[in-house]
Amino acid sequence: MSFEFLAPGAAVPGDRFAPVARTPMERAARAAGARFEARDGWTVATGYSSLEQEREACRRAAGWADVSHLGKLELHAAADDLAAIVADAAGGAALELGTATRAGDAWWLPLTTERALVVCEPAATGSLRERLEAAAASAARTVTVLDATCKYAALTLVGPLAREVFARFSAIDVRARVLPVAGFRPGSIARSPGLLVREGEERFLLMIGWALGQYLWETVADAGAHLGGAPVGLDALAEVAIGIAPVREEAGRA
Amino acid sequence: MSRLPEQPGERISRSKTISFRFDGKTVQAYEGDTIGSALYAAGRRTFSRSFKYHRRRGLMCCAGQCPNCLVAVDGAPGVRACTEPVRDGIDVRHMNARPGLDFDVMRATDLAPSALTPPGFYYKTFIRPRRLWPVYEKVLRHAAGLGVLPKKQAEREWRTEYRRRHADVLVIGAGAAGLRAATAAAELGADVVLCDEGPEPGGRLLAEGHHERARALADEARSAGVEILVNAPALGYFDGLVPVWQGATLHQVRAKQVVFATGTIEQPLVFAGNDLPGVMLSDGARRLAALYAVRPGARAVVATTSDRGLEAAVALRDAGVEIAAVADLRPDAAAGGALGDRLAAGGTEVLAGHTILEARGRTTVTGAVLGRADGSGGEREVDCDLVIISGGAAPATSLVAQAGARTTYDAARGVFRTGELPDAVHAAGDLTGAVGGEAVRLSGSLAGTEAAHALGLGDGASRARVQEAHRRLADLNTQAVAVAVPPAVAGGERGKCFACFCEDVTAKDIKASIAEGYDSIELSKRYTTVTMGPCQGRMCQLTSVRVMGQETGQTLEQVGLTTARPPWSSVPMGALAGRPIEPAKRSSIHGRHRELGAKILWAGDWRRAYDYGDPQGEAVAVQRAAGLIDVSTLGKMLVRGPEAGAFLDRLYPNRFSNLKPGRIRYGVISSDAGRIVDDGTICRLDDETFYVTTTSSGAGAMEEWFGWWLADWRMDVHMTDVTQAIAAVNLAGPRARDIMATVCDLDVSNEAFAYMDGKRGLVAGVPCLILRIGFVGEVGYEIHYPAAHGEHLWDALIAAGAEHGLRPFGLEPQRLLRLQKMHILVGQDTDSESTPFAAAMPWIVKLDKADDFIGKWALEHYADVEPETALVGFTMADGHVPTEGAVVVQGTTPAGQVTSSRYSPQLGRVIGLAWVASSLARDDARITISDAGSTYEATVQNKPFYDPEGEVLRS
Repeated sequence: MSFEFLAPGAAVPGDRFAPVARTPMERAARAAGARFEARDGWTVATGYSSLEQEREACRRAAGWADVSHLGKLELHAAADDLAAIVADAAGGAALELGTATRAGDAWWLPLTTERALVVCEPAATGSLRERLEAAAASAARTVTVLDATCKYAALTLVGPLAREVFARFSAIDVRARVLPVAGFRPGSIARSPGLLVREGEERFLLMIGWALGQYLWETVADAGAHLGGAPVGLDALAEVAIGIAPVREEAGRA
Repeated sequence: MSRLPEQPGERISRSKTISFRFDGKTVQAYEGDTIGSALYAAGRRTFSRSFKYHRRRGLMCCAGQCPNCLVAVDGAPGVRACTEPVRDGIDVRHMNARPGLDFDVMRATDLAPSALTPPGFYYKTFIRPRRLWPVYEKVLRHAAGLGVLPKKQAEREWRTEYRRRHADVLVIGAGAAGLRAATAAAELGADVVLCDEGPEPGGRLLAEGHHERARALADEARSAGVEILVNAPALGYFDGLVPVWQGATLHQVRAKQVVFATGTIEQPLVFAGNDLPGVMLSDGARRLAALYAVRPGARAVVATTSDRGLEAAVALRDAGVEIAAVADLRPDAAAGGALGDRLAAGGTEVLAGHTILEARGRTTVTGAVLGRADGSGGEREVDCDLVIISGGAAPATSLVAQAGARTTYDAARGVFRTGELPDAVHAAGDLTGAVGGEAVRLSGSLAGTEAAHALGLGDGASRARVQEAHRRLADLNTQAVAVAVPPAVAGGERGKCFACFCEDVTAKDIKASIAEGYDSIELSKRYTTVTMGPCQGRMCQLTSVRVMGQETGQTLEQVGLTTARPPWSSVPMGALAGRPIEPAKRSSIHGRHRELGAKILWAGDWRRAYDYGDPQGEAVAVQRAAGLIDVSTLGKMLVRGPEAGAFLDRLYPNRFSNLKPGRIRYGVISSDAGRIVDDGTICRLDDETFYVTTTSSGAGAMEEWFGWWLADWRMDVHMTDVTQAIAAVNLAGPRARDIMATVCDLDVSNEAFAYMDGKRGLVAGVPCLILRIGFVGEVGYEIHYPAAHGEHLWDALIAAGAEHGLRPFGLEPQRLLRLQKMHILVGQDTDSESTPFAAAMPWIVKLDKADDFIGKWALEHYADVEPETALVGFTMADGHVPTEGAVVVQGTTPAGQVTSSRYSPQLGRVIGLAWVASSLARDDARITISDAGSTYEATVQNKPFYDPEGEVLRS
């Protein structure tokens, strides 16, 4: 069963229409002075001030970047089926509640024992969905694989004050001993249901309902700017490493 | 100026002079000064006027405990001058005095006989004659309260925010015990936050000549990784959450273990004139001298109940204050000791068994009357400009009591201290009754270590240390304490003796309240308002309990304390409110609506386009050409699995298992009681997949509803909420098909794409699910597609429709158009009692379904009973548009209500929906609507006002 009406990447550019996907934070980012480029079918904010200024914000205070364009796939299956599908599609990775697994350049996030969310680069969404569907084909019970890209707006918060910025709008405990790198918490973010992944020591991925994207941006920007932070584009963000080694496919398969 | 030479450990920086204004006059200060210390150094003695009697009040505690120095700083009222740091250029003004501090006309209330203003006089005086209440109210409101907020909103707002802080251990109070507790816990690996209301950690050590020790303890804590928050009072304890207010930030500290090291609060003595400027607590005078190098007076009299006052006398004498006399309440044998000898050696007379009876002076202290505590005479008047008092040290139990700790009465010291503690709560230092520096520090280490142990930290060595500490503390705490319990009142016949400085409650007032029957401390508190002011009982809890005990003959243990409630420290409302974070959902087309000039309003938690400036014109456009509305807010769910059809059959009163793929059916969700709770459409995508829409306002509740039942029934069904993932627009109107034909890759002819068909196809290059439904009564295509393409598809449709007269339309024209079709809005046209039968939808209930469904039992019952009321359409006879909610009357009896009403330009009349008596639910029946004091006639109509047979929809 195809649910392409959920998949922004399934748009078909033609002579008359050239659909380019947009994030819910785009207008707020534009108002903050963002420069945009079209990448992988999306309009994305690549920078604001100079690259060096954005690096500095990330090094000294906090930077935040709209990453709503990241691909998101939602898996729903019986617990053992889900584990098998993930192991098959993610090179042997296993899911553990409360922990995000990094495999195949994607985050594998267990929402429950029967549901998982996979967050990946937008260009990889289609092929990953196909892999998941292929892995699901042998399951005896119902398996649902949905493109949930537009279900969640996403924002990355980086820098030494990222925790402090986050504490201004969420009560989720993000101390390293409670939420280590690759820790994953569903919980209230800015008074709304959200998902939180600690991507690195000073790097957090926040996800919240798509319709709340602009609101999240405004909330983060309000708190972050007050603490000396600034919005950053994808180019600066790319220099802040995701702080966990990926699961090696060979090891997983072995 | 009354600056002292440089004091060891002083907080001021003499090389940095700054200035500020007080009541318009420039005042010089040093960096590090408080407003209070700078003003005192400049010679000011009166800092405020009291709440009720407008008596002069001066610095007393110099620690933010009492209400005597409240001022307004840069327009913000209620700031304690004694702890607020001076900043260059600030504008400080007095409060609660007109025209000025030194002459206040309201002082008349103090000069009037006190019989005119007994406690509760306002309850008794201003209740009659009733017609004068508006006048009384105006006067009382003018007189009540402390301080005035700036009139302009912008001037009374400042940025505040919350900071959530999780911790393993929170230590409240950064005196010696708190610092040791924090360090001990942190050294065992705990994540520790330490907060204190003072400007630097150290507590009493700082003012008592142990500043180096205090700073060393603070350095140890920092080195151990403790986060220290200063100028940060803990406000209360809320089931483990402790709000800590620090300037513009409210820290919400959630700690697994909390150590209370809140220390003691030096108590005043109750005697005549005990509120006169120049009467100062011993700790306050020491702080002023030691931390800010300000001489509190030239010649002082000291009245004390313990060594605390004697220590202050020695320290102040060393700082250059002449100590004229000391009245030590303790009898000869206990009093003095080495301290007394030192004072006597310096020429100070120490009067054992004496206390102060009166402070004399008109605007400030000029003398003190001392006498024997037992009233046996020995009175003498001593000239002085400063009265130092020390009425004992009351453990600050309020916060720990809020956490569930019990308090016990310590008869030897005449105070209440901490008793039994609940889990995860620890007490340290003076709060526990620890005696002496070693005991205080040891109890701190012990509390911190035990808090860490409770977290599973520590080792054998730390556990051994705990055992040893318990043994040592037991030894230390058995040492006798030389403290005298002061009389409830001394010199009461000489003048007003204040038990509560905040609310101007005298000992006599408490006695009067007891005489009127308010003979428990809780009742007296409510009647006299004692302990209800800005000090929150710090200065008046114990004194009022003592008066209560004396007057009722009860022991202090029997009198007890009033219930401890937050906030422990006064805090601006703005700090509690924090930043205004209000989640707002916006559709992915929201920006376009703004650009098109839409009026945006809240609709549930969404921001929606209400109209684009011409709601009636927009409605007409839909009926004559075409309109486009953003309906992204609709709830949307995918229901999938081999039992999906059966699942929906159980949830809805009608059938879905027999719905063919590619077809749509309307559904109403009913409760267990058969009442309508939501509605929407269901499109079957394939054998196992249904696409369910719900109302916008019901989306969240329906997702929960579906989820609950799915969890209960354990069917092989997956449900996914895709509300926010999918944008949706409704293209409707006679030209809608033409427009669709230009942008859609499907055959949209009526034959190929019929009414209630659901198909998937590309619209403007975007994969969509297209539902041919007609909420607004015209040929319509509800297009569902990925939210990321919201604006793209909207723009494409607007562009394609331009030549067809397409207009965007908002929520208001949609409401009019659906009303013409009598399509209900659940929640507006229905309420918690509405059933499908009464709402004119009996056809949707399939009682012949073999299996059970939610609400079946109730609906079977309703099917056999004529409903009392029914939902009908109506048209108004005279063009009046009744208010939604207007009452339908039969004679003078309410018999229903209007739920929707609009003027329809297309129909040229006013139409509406209303609940009426079932006997009137027939075409052409006349009903009467009472609205805004008049009655209006209307005619019932049961079929839709527009396209009653649905021919347009199906065309």
